[in-house]
This record gives sequence, structure tokens and C-alpha cells, in this order.
Amino acid sequence: MMKRHGILLLLMLGFSLTAPAQVSEPTVYASVFSTKLFVVGAANPQTGMFYHRPSEDTVWRHTGAKNIRANALAVFPGSDGRIRYTASGNGLHKTTDGGNNWKITTGWRITEIWAVSLDPVDPSAVYIGTAYGIYKSTDQGDTWKQVFTGFVSCIIVDRTNPSVLYAATELGVYKSTDRGETWQRTGLSIDRTRTVTQHPKDPQTLLVGTEKHGIYATSNGGRTWTKREAGIDHETFYTIAFDPSDPSIVYAGGYATGVYRSKDGGYSWRRTCVGFAVEHIHSIAVDPTDTRRVYAGTMGAGMYRSEDRGENWRFIGLPGAQVGRIVIEP
Amino acid sequence: MTIAKYTLTVAVCVAGLSRAQMKNEEAYKKEYEQRAAFIASAYDTSSYSSYYAIAARYARNRDIRWADSLFVELLKEPRGDMFWMFPVIGAYLHGKDKMSEETRLAVRNSWKSYTPYRGDTENHWCMYYGSLFLAAEQWPGLPGSEWFNGKSSDENLIEAKEYLIEWMRITTTIGQGEFDSPDYLPEFVIPMVLLAEFAQDPEMKLRGRMMADYVLADFAVDHLEGQYIGGFSRIYQPAVYKPLLSQASAYAYLYFGTGNPTTSGWVLLPALSSYRLPHSIYRIALDRSKPYVHKERKRVRNIIRLGTVKNPPVYKYTYMTQDYGLSSLHGGILQPIQQHTWSVRFTRGEPYTTVFGLHPYWSALELIMFFPEEERMMIADVVASKGTYNNPDKWTGSSPFERTFQYKNTLIVLYDIEPGTTTEHIDGFFPMTLDHRSVDPSGWIVCRAGNTYIGWYPLQEYEWIDEYEKPGQSLNTIGRPEMGMDAPVLGNWRLRSHKLQNGYVVEVRSKNEIGSFETFVNGLRKRIAKATLKPGAVSVDYRTLEGAHMKFSFPEGRALNGVNVDLTKTKLFDGPFLNAEVGSERLTITHGKQRRILDFKKLQISE
Repeated sequence: MMKRHGILLLLMLGFSLTAPAQVSEPTVYASVFSTKLFVVGAANPQTGMFYHRPSEDTVWRHTGAKNIRANALAVFPGSDGRIRYTASGNGLHKTTDGGNNWKITTGWRITEIWAVSLDPVDPSAVYIGTAYGIYKSTDQGDTWKQVFTGFVSCIIVDRTNPSVLYAATELGVYKSTDRGETWQRTGLSIDRTRTVTQHPKDPQTLLVGTEKHGIYATSNGGRTWTKREAGIDHETFYTIAFDPSDPSIVYAGGYATGVYRSKDGGYSWRRTCVGFAVEHIHSIAVDPTDTRRVYAGTMGAGMYRSEDRGENWRFIGLPGAQVGRIVIEP
Repeated sequence: MTIAKYTLTVAVCVAGLSRAQMKNEEAYKKEYEQRAAFIASAYDTSSYSSYYAIAARYARNRDIRWADSLFVELLKEPRGDMFWMFPVIGAYLHGKDKMSEETRLAVRNSWKSYTPYRGDTENHWCMYYGSLFLAAEQWPGLPGSEWFNGKSSDENLIEAKEYLIEWMRITTTIGQGEFDSPDYLPEFVIPMVLLAEFAQDPEMKLRGRMMADYVLADFAVDHLEGQYIGGFSRIYQPAVYKPLLSQASAYAYLYFGTGNPTTSGWVLLPALSSYRLPHSIYRIALDRSKPYVHKERKRVRNIIRLGTVKNPPVYKYTYMTQDYGLSSLHGGILQPIQQHTWSVRFTRGEPYTTVFGLHPYWSALELIMFFPEEERMMIADVVASKGTYNNPDKWTGSSPFERTFQYKNTLIVLYDIEPGTTTEHIDGFFPMTLDHRSVDPSGWIVCRAGNTYIGWYPLQEYEWIDEYEKPGQSLNTIGRPEMGMDAPVLGNWRLRSHKLQNGYVVEVRSKNEIGSFETFVNGLRKRIAKATLKPGAVSVDYRTLEGAHMKFSFPEGRALNGVNVDLTKTKLFDGPFLNAEVGSERLTITHGKQRRILDFKKLQISE
């Protein structure tokens, strides 16, 4: 009877017991922080890293530890999914063999990891943002050094220059120009920032989502910032994503926002909510192999996908999930 | 039920009904064994599917095959995170030499296949690493592929030991974070008694024993007839107005022989353990022959946002007699959600043996100070497990607009509440089980509970509200229903005042201290507090019944007899029974001529 319940639960969560789909499709990875409301010690549904391919509709497979509240994830570019990290309350989980074996690379001192970012060139360099600061590893997570103190929500590595990093923190947006060794506050006056995103073609242009202060932009690597008004001044944004083929198209999501879309690089925005069960959006990613296809991870209602650049959305699985981050590997 | 078990039950229950008398060491040991056996006996024949029933059978060598079978069955669907880890390793350690090979393999495999969530706070980490340490010792030399977290036995052992030693260091230097918690005491005691009994590493075995002594001594000095007296970091709502409901009372029953007989699962593993409480700590828990003042310094849980100091200090002040204990934390946000800032608890009037007050405040900003989740979702997340958090009628919680000043058995509480705050009122709890409650023409609310007299002088106008404990209302947390839906509706009293600049003076005396209730009331009539109650300027000038002059200006201006009170000088423990300096890693436990020193730097117990 218990076994039958277990299978039923798997099916409800959209798990597949079938073989993977064709490998030519991109793989969509999602970190699931919680499913509905998580209570420590209770019988919670699975959290952690899930993956999926576009042709699989609502089917998602779980990989790695099943009960870890995964806030973020990273996949080393070009590794075909072999090198992956899941950032969680239990620490940073790493696989280097495509998910067959996982190891927590952090110890008891590092907890509540909210962000993980990789050097796009050097697979040994890993950065994590936690409730207590930023930690850096130069040996794929075997050892760690704290390089920043403060609550960190998001870290990115400049895709054109891996010496440069940006971090969205509770103390403003910080920048490092020496591979994370030292950090300086940028010119943004807002303290509580939640996400930072780099323009796909102009590395000096960044957009930042804040807690209750909308979106700010810089075109000079963080020296000066301007607020993007357009009716989103007091919104909270957890995620911003550029269309990699046409960076004038930008998507943003946050608390009770649905998905906002801009067609002018973030100067004006239009809200789209068609198809969503909830309006809280925590993660957005654009499929680089077909940029009409956009994914949105909600807070408490699973994963949605649009096939028309965000006009209409459809539920595609992970019911009840709070999706911390989405990464798409071509 | 066997005749022997029936006899044991009767003996233990009869012993539990009378007020506890201090026993000599020999008698204490004998009665302790009876209580431990009573608790274990509730599990060693129980057919209830739990790891506790398995542990009890292994420990008492009963129905081993039944225990094996249930263990294998339960491990097919492990769940509970760190709350799974300690009963599983506890049951395993009691039975590893008796269980079948199949069972042993099932336990081993569960530590490979099931990933417990590590949690986000001190009690979680203590249970997680205490259990992981013991498990890593049991299966040495295994590679990471044999463990849920991919780390080898050695790596797990080292990490767990490091955490536990750091927890002990910080606790014995600047205090515990989830301190003095009637409901979370087991989460610390259980891992320590398991270490004390089962750790193979002699250092960790000794450390387990020392920390079990430490945490239980911390309880003993604030203990009165089965109740934890406080000022608490964390408590669930039912136990805040029914003190004997808390798990600490089960520990008082087992270790001190007070309170009501219990067979709580939370005390089973200690009852099965070979750990024994030092008699000096037992004596401290029972000796209320003279009133005493006891002060403590603890620390705030890790602040991760909106603060500049990770663990600011907490100052606790307790005045204890044989009839009541009056105790307070200095106030403000010291813990999220479940803080209990002050109360007087007394020995008469079960189950509602307490009077207390609070500002029932809640805020996402309070929560994000301590929790990393998204601010805008935070309250819903918390209410999922702490259902009363955003209820304006709740009875637990901290407030940034509340401060206290206590001197012996006199307490002043002040509030300067910002308009628009949740909530714009303060509340006081007055139980229906008081022998007397009336409002004197002088303005004092005067109460009597047996030999305890309580005076409450409100500084602002207020109203009385019938306080119904409705069936189901106190289902405060998942898995801990206090009463069934058909339970009777009971009436207590809620004092509510809607003034934002507010406060009260509380005087508590016993018959032994002041004589008759009339003498107490007559004394109060001459003690009217002078208050200034304006936004940003809230203060009180008051002379106690004995003439001590207390001046208190919100938030931190405290003066006693003209001398400013400097709370920053508060020691880790300071009183007749427990003493420790901040940073010392050394606790001196004293009762009469008995002295026990726990020295964590030297790793030494000396007597």
C-alpha cells in the first residue's frame, strides 16, 4: 500500500520512469526550494534538482539528493551536464559524472546557500553566495575561502572577463575585479537587491532587481545606475533574463508581478500573466536554441513555459514547487 | 499489563502526585531508576510503530525479532530529517549487537539512501551532527559513495566533531542561542546523552556528558515543581499558559522527580541511557529553601540581515522562591516567533499556573533578520508550522517595542509602540485557576494563587476580555494537538490595552515573604508608579514594596536606587548555584558543600 502511494506521489509530481528523451534537445534544469509550504521534519515532497527536455511536456526527473531545499544551481558550460552544482540548505552538492554520484563539497560552516556561479572558462573556480557571505573555491569546491560578509542573493561572473563578478546583496550591488578576492560597492544607492543580470552582448550593461524598489540599470559596469520607472517602481524582482538573440527583449519576475516583458532593453515593461496559477515568479530563463521559448519558475505553483516570447504561458510540471533557478543547457 | 508493570505504574504515579521532597543520593538514584523504568515500560511492549518502541525493546532485550521487523519496515520510507536521525541511531546503538544482519544492513543502507535536511538553526544542527558523528563512528572507513552526502566516514566524523565542539565552545563562552526553551530542551539533551553513552571517541564521550550536565543544570536553576521558569527563547503556545505541557516537564519528571508522570517519547532515549544526572544538579532543581536571584547571559540566534552584530547578548533575570518564580528577558527581538519575554509561574492552580504579558507583534522584517527566505513569502512560510504567528490574539512572540526591568520580585515592563504596527495593543494573561482576582480601587489588579500573591499595576486604561481556549484553537503546530475537538471550552482572562505608550508594574510575593494577602494588597496601595507616557518618552518611577527605587526609561535606561544598571556586565551565570564568566568555557555548579566544575578548556570535570 505504501509503495503504491509512493508511485502515485511520483506521478503527481510529474516524474517519469521512462528513458530520457532524445539528447539533441536542450536540457532544462530547475532547482526546487520547496513544494508548497515546507516544514522541517515533516513529510515534505521532494526538493532538489530536477531536469526536463522540452518534448517531455510535464515530465521532470529528479537528480541528486531529494530533500535539500535547493535554492540555485549551476551547470558548467559545455560539460554536457556532467559538471553540475546544487546550492541548498545542506550545502553545495556537486556531480562531475552527470549526476551518478553527488557530494556535498561544503562543511558545517557554510549553510543556506542562495547562489552559485561558475567561471565560464576555468571549471575549478566556483563562487557561492550565502546568508553569511560569499565563498570562493579554486579547486571545484574541495576547499573554500570567505571573501565577502553579508547576505547574498545572486552572483554572476562576467562572461567576457572572468576576473569581474557582480553580487546582489542586502547591502547593495557589489563588484569584484580580481576573481572575487575583494569586493567594492557599486554606485547603486539601494541596499536590498535580489538579482543581477548581464546584457548578453554589452558586458557593461546590467539590470538589477530589488526588494520593493523595482529595477535599476547600469551601462558602465556599475559606476552609475538609473531607475527603470514605467510603473514597476515599487515591485520586488527576483529574476531578470535577456533574450540572448535579441537583447532588447527582457523578462522580469518577482513577488506578485507575473512576468514583465520589455521590448526596449528594459525601459518600458508590459505585464503578462495569461495562464499562471500564481503571480509570484522566482526564476526565468530563455531557451538559447529557440528564443521564442521562455521558462518561468513560480513560488508555489511549479514551472510554466511560453512558446511565444511570454505572451501566453502553460503549466509544464513540478506542481506546487517553488523554483529557485532555471538553467538551460543547449 | 503485567503485575510488575502495574505495581511500577502505581508506585510512580503516587510518587508523582505529591510535592517533590529532596531525596538523598541513594534514594534519588533508586527513584530515578523507577521513573526511567516506568517510561521505558510504556514502549517496550507498545505495538505503536515508532523508533522509540524499537529502541526500548533493544535496550530492554524484549521481542528482538519484533523490533527487527518494525525497524526494517520503518526504514523503507524514512522521513523527518534530523528528527529521524537521532531516534534511528539511538535505536541502532541500543540494538546493534542483538539485531539481525538484515536489520543491520537496512539501518546502514538508510544512511546511504536517505538525505536528511540539515535544517537552519541550532537545535537542528545539534541533532544532525550529534547523530551523524555517532553514525560515522559506527561505520568507519567507508567511502563517500556509502553516505547520503557523498562524504566518507572520516569526513563526516571530522565535520560533525568540529561542529559539536564549536557549538559547545560558543555556548560556554557567550551562551546558547535557543536558550532556556521548555519545548526545545530535548533537542539538545538527547544528542548529548547519546554521545555520553555511545561515542567511541573518549573526548566526545566526555563532552557529551559535560554538555548534558550543562544544559540540565541550566534548566535546574530555573526549575520549579516541574516548570521551566522564564523568560524563554522558544515556546509553543499551549505550554506558555499551561506550563506543565512542555517537554521540559517530562525532563523534570525523569531527572528531578517533579511534575506529572509522563511517558513522552521525547524523554525515552534519556530514560534508556546510562547517563545519570549529578546529584548536585538534582539538588539545585529541588532546593527552594531560600529565595534567590539568578542572572544569565545568552545570545540572540544568528542575525543574517538588518543587523550589525551576529549574536547580540540576551540578559535573563530570575527571582525564585518555593512558591513562584518571576523571570524576564530584557526585551526587544531576541528570538523570532516563539519568544516569551517574561512571566511569573507558580505552584498552584494547574494547569494555568502563570501570569504574563506581551505585545503580540509580527512582521516579515522580524523574520528576515533570522531566516533567509524571501521576505514577501516569509509570513506564510512561518504560519505553515507556527500557526499563531500572525494572530493578534497570540500568546508568544517578541516585540521591538517591549522592554523590561526586573529587581528581585518586582518587574516593570514598558512599551513604546509605533502607530501602524502589528498590533496596536498589549495583552496580559490571567488564568481562571487563580484563587482570587480583583481590581483594587488603587488601580492595582490583585491576584492570589495559593501562597503566591501577584499585583499588576497598569499604566494605561484597559479592558477585560473573556479568554476562551476553544477546542482546536491551540492546535498551534503540526503534529502537536493539545486537545481534541470535543474538549471543554475553558475560560481565562485577557487584559487588553490599546494605548501605544504603555506598561505595567508587577509585584509578586509569597505568604512566606509578606504574610497575609491583605498585607500585600495594603502595601501595594501605597505604591503607585509615576509614569510619563508620550511617544519617544516612556518612563516610570517606582518604589517597590521594600522601598527599592526603580527608574526605567524606554528602551534601555534602568536605574536602581540612583545607580544605573549596566546589563552588559551580566555574567554567563550568576547566582548561588551556577556561576560562569563570559568567555570562560567553565561552569561552576555549587550546592552546599557540593561543587562540580565543568571545564571545557581543560576538558575536565572536577568535584
